[in-house]
Amino acid sequence: MWSAILPILQTIVFPGFLFLIAVSFLYEWLDRKIYAWMQFRAGPVLAGPVGILQPLADFVKLMGKEDITPAYADRRIFGAVPIMMVALIFTFWAVVPVTGSAGLVSFRGDVVFALVSMTFFCMLVFLGGFSSADRFSLLGAERAVLQLLGFEIPLMLSLTGVCIHTGSLSLSGIVSWQAENGWTLLGPQAIGFIIFLVAAQAELERIPFDIPEAEQEIVAGWLTEYSGRKLALIRLAKDMELVFVSGLAVALFLGGPVGPSPAGLEWLVYPAYFLIKLALVVAILAFIRGLFARARIDQMVSFGLRYLVPISLAQVAATILWRLA
Amino acid sequence: MGIIDWAFRKSPWILHFNTGSCNGCDIEIFATLTPKYDVERLGALLKGSPRHADILVVSGPVTRQASGRILRIYEQMPDPKKVVAVGTCCISGGVFSNGGKGPCYNVYPGLDSLVPVDAYVPGCPPKPEAILDGISKVAKKAGVGCK
Repeated sequence: MWSAILPILQTIVFPGFLFLIAVSFLYEWLDRKIYAWMQFRAGPVLAGPVGILQPLADFVKLMGKEDITPAYADRRIFGAVPIMMVALIFTFWAVVPVTGSAGLVSFRGDVVFALVSMTFFCMLVFLGGFSSADRFSLLGAERAVLQLLGFEIPLMLSLTGVCIHTGSLSLSGIVSWQAENGWTLLGPQAIGFIIFLVAAQAELERIPFDIPEAEQEIVAGWLTEYSGRKLALIRLAKDMELVFVSGLAVALFLGGPVGPSPAGLEWLVYPAYFLIKLALVVAILAFIRGLFARARIDQMVSFGLRYLVPISLAQVAATILWRLA
Repeated sequence: MGIIDWAFRKSPWILHFNTGSCNGCDIEIFATLTPKYDVERLGALLKGSPRHADILVVSGPVTRQASGRILRIYEQMPDPKKVVAVGTCCISGGVFSNGGKGPCYNVYPGLDSLVPVDAYVPGCPPKPEAILDGISKVAKKAGVGCK
């Protein structure tokens, strides 16, 4: 009986959906606070203690607002995109290890599976902007796909280095390799970690790569026509994607949730390790957001292909040589 | 007070529209975003798209050329929505009201002759504290129950 209920509870409550939603609201708040702190501002303070409920207030408010569909929009695709975004991140969250070396679902090749989510998300962004029938949305959607050209190859290559180094194509294999060998992956794969963070920043459409929704140029990019419940779901999906990508970085480069723990308390200590490392990655991403100004789309693509790809190729080559030696 | 009313009070997103202002009020509105005043403390974000915004902050005398645009932007915002008129020009026409004898030929006698206004922030230009006060008072009024 218990063994039948436990997987359902795990999927819905603890490392699953509700936990992901709570954590994504928490880390959106953290991100906004760090961003405000870097600009000598206070950030949200009034919603709840130190403003910690601000993302929840935004979400509930958007849920309560009028939901407008433009007259010329493709109604079905326009309405389906936000739901599909949330469903996509829920699905892919299952492979991220939270409570141990393996996630809810673990199989050979789930690194590739996790990588596919980035491309799918970008395709959904394109569909959302394309179906809005708005000139700004269309421009934003085009830019999102162009940006995918720039960051996708370096992202894949940075993961390739990790997979070659550990000799494993599954996240649980990579995490347990790091648990056996100490934190030795961040040292030799430091360049891969940096490239992963840069590509993650582009994937998450944050400054300096918030080109698809550049507010000063194209209103709100592909998000321009979304309002009410659909915008709430899209914002939730973007927050969850921040947590998902940071969780991947934690599992791939920072050793995942596994660490020294008193016997019998792993169920409590491992998620705590995971949340602390996640906060570290989110803080780095927020620092990048606060430090830079927006790049142009041609600068972004040429930066990705001209500098990031050769550097990550060199990283992969060095890793192969290290394996052979 | 339900959770939805609470959320509406804590998250007023702003859209700024300039109907022909001399930029005096605009500079003061942007000063509310700066570290000293920081309107994000109230949970407010400056949004680019009318579809995302809750509060329309208008500055400047409402000229006949801008009147159609302000109506369109107001219509594009999702309900429930609020309007804040910032500056004397926006409230009554200001120096373009011909010494109180009626507006100039190309200027409306105030924003409330076009769209319903929820808060007036007088001044030429008003101080950022005054604009913050106007936004926070409108945010307190916000909610599904009180359109």
